[in-house]
Amino acid sequence: MAASQVDKARPAKGDDPQLYLPREPVIIALLSALAVVLFLAVTGLSRLYDAQQESLGNRWFARGVEDLQAQRFDRAAVEFRAALLYSRDDYSYQLNLAEALLGLKRTNEAYAYLITLWDRQPEEGLVNLELARIAVQQNETDRALRYYHNAIYAAWPTDQEGKRRDARLELIEYLLRINAKTQAQAELIALAANLGDDPAQQLQVGDLFVRAQDYEHALAAYRVALKSDRHNAAVLAGAGLAAFESGRYPVAYRYLQAAVTGNLNDAQSAARLKTTELVLEMDPFQRQISAEQRNRIVVKAFTAAGERLKGCSPPQSSALPTAPPSLAESWEKMKPRITMAGLQRNPDLVEAAMDLVFNIERQSSTVCGTLAGVDQALLLIAKLHEGS
Amino acid sequence: MDLSSNRTLARADNASALPVSPSERSAKALLQSVFREDRFFLVLSVFIGVFSGLAVVCFRFTIGWFRIYLLGSGIVIAPVRLLLAPTLAGLVIAALVLHVFPTVRGSGVNQTKSALYIYNGYIPVRTAVGKFITAALAIGSGHSLGPEDPSLQIGASLASALGRRMRLSRDRMRLIAPVGAAAGLAAAFNAPISAVLFVIEEVIGHWTAGILGSVVLAAVSSVVVMRWFLGSQPLFRIPPVEMKRPSELIAYAILGVVGGFASVAFSSGTTAMRARCKAMPRWTQYFQPAIAGLLIGTIAILGAPQVMGAGYVYIDEAMHGQFTWQFLAILAGLKIVATLLSFVSGTPGGMFAPTLFIGAMLGAAVGGAEHALLPHFTASPGTYALVGMGVLFAGFLRAPMTSVFMVLEVSGNYSIILPVLVANTFAYLISRGLQPNAIFDVLTRQDGLDLPSMEEQREEGILRVEDAMQPVSGPVLSAEETVDHALREADSAGADNLVVRLSPEGWSSITKAELRTMADAEIGGATVSSLLNDRRIPYLHPDHPLEVALRYVERWPVVPVVSRADFGKLEGVISQRDVLERYREFGEG
Repeated sequence: MAASQVDKARPAKGDDPQLYLPREPVIIALLSALAVVLFLAVTGLSRLYDAQQESLGNRWFARGVEDLQAQRFDRAAVEFRAALLYSRDDYSYQLNLAEALLGLKRTNEAYAYLITLWDRQPEEGLVNLELARIAVQQNETDRALRYYHNAIYAAWPTDQEGKRRDARLELIEYLLRINAKTQAQAELIALAANLGDDPAQQLQVGDLFVRAQDYEHALAAYRVALKSDRHNAAVLAGAGLAAFESGRYPVAYRYLQAAVTGNLNDAQSAARLKTTELVLEMDPFQRQISAEQRNRIVVKAFTAAGERLKGCSPPQSSALPTAPPSLAESWEKMKPRITMAGLQRNPDLVEAAMDLVFNIERQSSTVCGTLAGVDQALLLIAKLHEGS
Repeated sequence: MDLSSNRTLARADNASALPVSPSERSAKALLQSVFREDRFFLVLSVFIGVFSGLAVVCFRFTIGWFRIYLLGSGIVIAPVRLLLAPTLAGLVIAALVLHVFPTVRGSGVNQTKSALYIYNGYIPVRTAVGKFITAALAIGSGHSLGPEDPSLQIGASLASALGRRMRLSRDRMRLIAPVGAAAGLAAAFNAPISAVLFVIEEVIGHWTAGILGSVVLAAVSSVVVMRWFLGSQPLFRIPPVEMKRPSELIAYAILGVVGGFASVAFSSGTTAMRARCKAMPRWTQYFQPAIAGLLIGTIAILGAPQVMGAGYVYIDEAMHGQFTWQFLAILAGLKIVATLLSFVSGTPGGMFAPTLFIGAMLGAAVGGAEHALLPHFTASPGTYALVGMGVLFAGFLRAPMTSVFMVLEVSGNYSIILPVLVANTFAYLISRGLQPNAIFDVLTRQDGLDLPSMEEQREEGILRVEDAMQPVSGPVLSAEETVDHALREADSAGADNLVVRLSPEGWSSITKAELRTMADAEIGGATVSSLLNDRRIPYLHPDHPLEVALRYVERWPVVPVVSRADFGKLEGVISQRDVLERYREFGEG
């Protein structure tokens, strides 16, 4: 055996087992009793302390909530911090402090609290929504989308459906702001699927669909709204707009007319109605019109295109002898034939004349901008019959 | 003496203590076997932990109450209170310290070491009471001190009182104060591993299974009690710990360097100012804590109320990005000043919390600055704040092991280990390089005591058997050879002391004079083994500390030194003269 081990085998100095024998059980019993008594005493003290801490925490929290509601964010932040002194991990204290800090535009500090809260309860709706808003401020699109979706599917303490809807609406607004129209349309479709017949909500969704340039869904939403409120001028105007933008001019005419009747101050709808009337009046390809009517429209359109050319000459395509003739040359060349008699003689000219008219209007609008009136109507008709 | 014979000896010793046969076993004997002092000491450690935990809970309540009644319950404190509370509390504390509780000055770590090394574990109960009241008043009124070290001393004091009541042996009494200290610190810190390590690293300096068992039991039981009343949440909310890439360790190394210099500034400032304050006339001691309080209040009024008290709330906020890095750096500097003022004025209170505060602020400041410069290179400042705490702990308190485990235990995240190791190593090396003596050692010497420095002990060169042993110059006798033959071999080699290889194993030694006596008595034909039946001697290994050899070289002229891999392989021999000669050279060196 190694020498050091020899030493370890010896009993320690003062380790006399006999010394402790008679009294140890008694001592342990007494110490246990003393521990119990002290434990009870400290429990009493602890209750006193906890009650005081809770009361102070609640008092500061109540003051903070009052100031937060009054938008006195600086005072609210101080008060919520004071409340947290007494209950550091209290969820609502932290959440309200974060709200106050957001009110003070101290985003980083608010984020620190919110992310801690998120770690604790990632399913909490308001925390996700606030984090999404911070991500929006910081242009962190991916993070913003993630938190918004979390908020949409999160747990909300009250009015869960309403809060989820609001979160989605906020997300849609954000998507529209960053021009992510396709994603916005997808969110809107999901939103519309869960909406009731409330005309205000349908109107809002319809308007958002319009902003997302999904006019068919917009029109559908407005129509649902109109079922409940047939004479709502705003809804009628929206439906008119959606129908107008989707090229359904007869429908647009009906809605816009009703909208203008319902609200005489709606200048936009009135202007749009006028344009719609012109479109309907100037479209030679409408069914249910006579040949004479069509020829008259073509003559009128051709004349309007000529006027448009005079006011705004598109650049010459080329000076080369092989280059195609300019629009003005084409118009001049065709002009003698575009008469009521000429069209009657040769109905095929309708198509050629209108093609030239559409070309003139398109190029003119590119060079000189879109005009109102007949020119705009012709442009819309051109768009309507594109590819047909 | 071989392994089995020693075991027999040990069993025989135990048998003499408990002289019972199976047939005589009785309840009394059973109790005897259960309540041997070492076992009783373990049981007592649990009670020490429970009582210390209860005391620390009450201490925390008292600090809270003082804080509310002296500074108010809110975050924004009226300037009048900021000035008056620490100043007036300072006057009361000075009077109490000078007239009622003269032993409660300072942090409490050195007092606990004094109890261990000077006073045989004795710490008066009055110290616990005094520390409790004065430290709670100081911290509650806004002095820049923490509750951990006072808790350590309160725990040690309670343990000492309990040990005295139990009339423990001197050896146990010496150990009981550190056991209580570990319990107090563990409860205050809510970190039992760090408390155990700190007490072993900085107070006791070494450990055995018995000591460790007691210290651990006390620490665990005190933490259980503390958590029962105050909850199990850590002192601060831990931020998500992240390290972006391995190269980020460079950033942590920079933090270690900054922390090392800050530690040196803090500790050299503390020791220099304390020496000056101690040298001032006695009457000034009535006002020193009050003046410190007044200055701290002024700092608070000027815009940094965060420096008041222990400051855990603000550590928490720093970890969660609530301050700019510039303000964090200012806070670290101001906290150093405030803590210096409080501590050197003799106000009772601890250095742990301020150290953590300074470290956290400094860490978050360095992390924040690095993040501002290289946003894609470094992680959030929260992780740096956490590492910064360990950095100051290593650099200022010079407890490197504790500093690492403290951060691990507090963060509960093992992935922080690399940054902590890197930063703490830099801080510790810089601090040790620029300031050879650790803060606690300097403070002890300023108090006129000479307690063993744990750091010096760790660094001390240890002499080993291999440093003093000599190669075997003479013949190695076989136990089977005759005395006459052995004598001839001894004569031809000119050796006076010979090593004997026993059969089948073991070693002994014999002198030439003994062999000659045998030969003269005409028993030269007998084998050497027949003369050595009772002389199997212990052997040593080359890596044994030299002090172990000292225990045996007096009894045997030469002690064999054998290989650990092969006990039959003789590496050398060692004699009393070799040992003393080596010690003499070492002393001269």
